Amino acid sequence: MIILLTGGSACGKSHYAEALCLHLGAPRYYIAAMMPYGDGSEQKIAKHRTMRAGKGFETIERYTDVGSLVLPRRGTVLLECVCNLTANEMFDSSGNMRDPYDDVVDGIDKLATQCENLIIVTNDVGSDSRQYTPETRKYVEVLGRINAALAQKADHVCELVCGIPIVLKGEKLI
Amino acid sequence: MVLIVGGEGSGKRTFALGLGYTPEQMADAVLDSRPVVYHLEQMVFADPDCIDELLPALVQKDVVICNEVGSGVMPIDWQERAGREATGRLCVRLAQQAKCVVRMVSGIPNIIKGQLG
Repeated sequence: MIILLTGGSACGKSHYAEALCLHLGAPRYYIAAMMPYGDGSEQKIAKHRTMRAGKGFETIERYTDVGSLVLPRRGTVLLECVCNLTANEMFDSSGNMRDPYDDVVDGIDKLATQCENLIIVTNDVGSDSRQYTPETRKYVEVLGRINAALAQKADHVCELVCGIPIVLKGEKLI
Repeated sequence: MVLIVGGEGSGKRTFALGLGYTPEQMADAVLDSRPVVYHLEQMVFADPDCIDELLPALVQKDVVICNEVGSGVMPIDWQERAGREATGRLCVRLAQQAKCVVRMVSGIPNIIKGQLG
């Protein structure tokens, strides 16, 4: 089963994703795609670590190429998050840009074949009016298309609003 | 307490008027004796560390109105990012305590928790 969770910043996605993982079976793997890059990311990573503590997750840090991961056993996998994975596939450390669509979508496809349940956390980044650089606009656009492709494959899609899951596809799970 | 969220101009205050409140009963980003407060996100952006203090007063209100500010690309500016995150977290906590949560889309209320009245 594939579950896609979307929503804006701090809308309760991670919290709900972890509750889903506990509801579903062990073993539980947490694939962290967020690269520690300073300026608040360490705190965010630490906050998410604290949230997961004692819940039986094995954490795997994987910033790109999730398709080549080999999981020890089939189980419940939480991938967090597609926005970081997309940015990591799209921009290298020198700022060079490439189209990340196939790597992200095919990579998640391959990962899904190893999972009993795959919970994917993404983010809604396409609904604001700020003026972005052309590179960032491209990122927003491709992430939108990636989200649409993932939603098509998913059995369940939820948007989180103020911590409340709004079911967009499939039935409500918890 | 009823929590009303939605984007800019999505009809949040108009909906609160429909609940029977007058414009005079609505406080703009300030906590006073009025039963409705709106532009909560402006209060949080002014001091993202204040959400623990705001929460008890907000749950005593009849209606709390907040703009959804969590969309778009994560801002590089840490202060802006802190404001977004704190607004999101505060709304999650308000929603837990609200008897009803309404999300406005194009002027249409979606009741996503509980019921009105």
